[in-house]
Amino acid sequence: MDAVETMNKARSAPADTGKTPLIDIRNLRVTFPSGGAAPKTVLKGIDLAVKSGEIVGLVGESGAGKTTLARSILGVPPGPGRIAGGEVHFEGRQILSLSEAEFRRLRGRRLSVVVPNPRAELNPLLRTGDQIASMAKIHLGVNGKEARRLALQMLRDVQIPDPERRMDAYPHELSGGMAQRVVIAMALICNPAFVISDDATSGLDVTVQAQILALLTKLVAEQGSAMLFITRDVGITAHFCDRIAVLFSGEIVELAPREALFLEPAHPYTLMLLASFSHSPRLRDSWSVPDTSRRRELAAGCQYADRCPIAQPVCRERRPPFAENGPGHFARCHFPVRHG
Amino acid sequence: MRILAYLAKRLVFVIPQLLGIVLVSFLLVKSIPGDPAVLMLGPTATKEAIAALRQQLGLDQPLYIQFLIYVRNLMHGDLGTSWQTTRPVLDDLYQRFPATIELVTFSLLLAIIVGVTLGVLAARNPRGWIARVSDIYGLSAGALPDFWFALVLIFVFYTVLGWAPAPLGRLDVTIIPPSPMTGALTIDTLLAGDWQGFHSACAHLVLPVLTLGLVNAGPILKMTQSTMEKMLESDFSRYEVLCGVPQNLVVRHALRNALPSVVTIISVLYGFLIGGAVLVEIVFAWGGAGQYAVQGVLNADIYPVLGFVLFSAIFSLVVYIVVDLIYFLLDPRISN
Repeated sequence: MDAVETMNKARSAPADTGKTPLIDIRNLRVTFPSGGAAPKTVLKGIDLAVKSGEIVGLVGESGAGKTTLARSILGVPPGPGRIAGGEVHFEGRQILSLSEAEFRRLRGRRLSVVVPNPRAELNPLLRTGDQIASMAKIHLGVNGKEARRLALQMLRDVQIPDPERRMDAYPHELSGGMAQRVVIAMALICNPAFVISDDATSGLDVTVQAQILALLTKLVAEQGSAMLFITRDVGITAHFCDRIAVLFSGEIVELAPREALFLEPAHPYTLMLLASFSHSPRLRDSWSVPDTSRRRELAAGCQYADRCPIAQPVCRERRPPFAENGPGHFARCHFPVRHG
Repeated sequence: MRILAYLAKRLVFVIPQLLGIVLVSFLLVKSIPGDPAVLMLGPTATKEAIAALRQQLGLDQPLYIQFLIYVRNLMHGDLGTSWQTTRPVLDDLYQRFPATIELVTFSLLLAIIVGVTLGVLAARNPRGWIARVSDIYGLSAGALPDFWFALVLIFVFYTVLGWAPAPLGRLDVTIIPPSPMTGALTIDTLLAGDWQGFHSACAHLVLPVLTLGLVNAGPILKMTQSTMEKMLESDFSRYEVLCGVPQNLVVRHALRNALPSVVTIISVLYGFLIGGAVLVEIVFAWGGAGQYAVQGVLNADIYPVLGFVLFSAIFSLVVYIVVDLIYFLLDPRISN
């Protein structure tokens, strides 16, 4: 076992001691109205629990429902979407049944989100320092001066160059990487228990991406927060996630500890995902499916059946159970891939 | 400092803009059919008398000479003489323009209060009853002719209820007008400490201001509502919601982002209403500049018309410069 892994083990060790998870998402369902017809179900019963201090990766291609999940956990599903069912338990409360006023006080305070494309997400007319400070003013009840002090400290923590000057910069004066650091500062200034990173580094070039990720995970670990790390890039999750969930078409199709997912993926979709990142042409050829653009909603049965190379008739008829194949390793498949 | 440089850059263009406006309006006014000399002298005038007057007025000169004479007189502060009032146009406008500006300014303030408030509330809750009321209001305000609305208000509040004073000018006839300082009676009576006059001036303003204000709140309401809806759906508002920013603050930030569009429509209305209020001025016998200009157009009295166009143009230019300065202060992306 090499040094990095030892360190990772050490960090995730306290997480295993907690009995009740920090956040427990149960059978979360989100629907979008589709003009007269039956509403389209975008999240089809998500179950996911995260313990305190744990980092869980959530991988999925675009359209899988990643952002919908991130926003629905915060009670604000995107667009005309609606939370049709399910519960989110957080710090002992079912937060989806909270009043809007109570839920509002949690957002940004105990539960916060790091968004992608931050230059569009920051208010163009307000100075970055004021936007960061307003988080502290709203949620921690500190006065303006103290809030600015905290904001400046936070800008130092996110290692933005020349933080004093950036306090007075407007969003359009920041580079993409700097804006991403500002958004991280806003997400972490109130020391939240749970951070959702929603594809936070997409749109940044690779070197900046690596810096931002290292920074985000370091700060989250220092604060002792838990994180749901949402990304399109399964390769990133290998670096720091304790467990990884694979989202496909609004369903978690596989959930496993990191090593198990990468070494013994059980769901054919996961295997395909890993293969697409693989350098082995043999693996790529055998698992990549030519028809990836067409997607059909299957009322019953496995969502992946149309694209699955090993699908059987039963896959189109019956929804597979979310079965445990190894310790903490679940897959929603009738024919999980066997290894060894 | 940057704002001064910006202002200077803006002001450089004012002179050519004004010259252009004078030229175009001169040509347009000159193309109105009707010979002033004939109208001035009446139906019994002899040909010789008309020819003599034409020569005296410079009407026998070619158009460009007439224009040059007009511009040269302008430089000396001479806007010509109205043959109807037989007074210098400048004096007439000094008296009438403030009356119109006072009326239009108070009307616009009312329109802003009604339009922006309803627009923000409607955008805040797009499916609420205020949004529905706003939709109907926006439609009907666009469809109602203002002079008709003025007549309805006069009928209800003067004829039937007797709450409003008679729609015959800006003051009760029993009240001696204050010596003109600003020309706005509400301000002049206050400066003179004339409470009775102030009360009368305000009372006379109520119905015309209600008319113009409520009718022109429509476009402000529509613009505020649609821009606010867009801003509240934009990424930064959604992000603020995700960050737990209270709704009032989210709405306030969105309003600041929506403000440039709202300010634009307000400034356009302000310039437009100087002339556009004329029907309401006539209904209330306001004696404003719009009325004066229309009289000029109808009687081929060209100098009042040109003077009015010039004053309105200067007024609009000032408004637009102020608006540009507001943009400058509102949006750091412009000021950089």
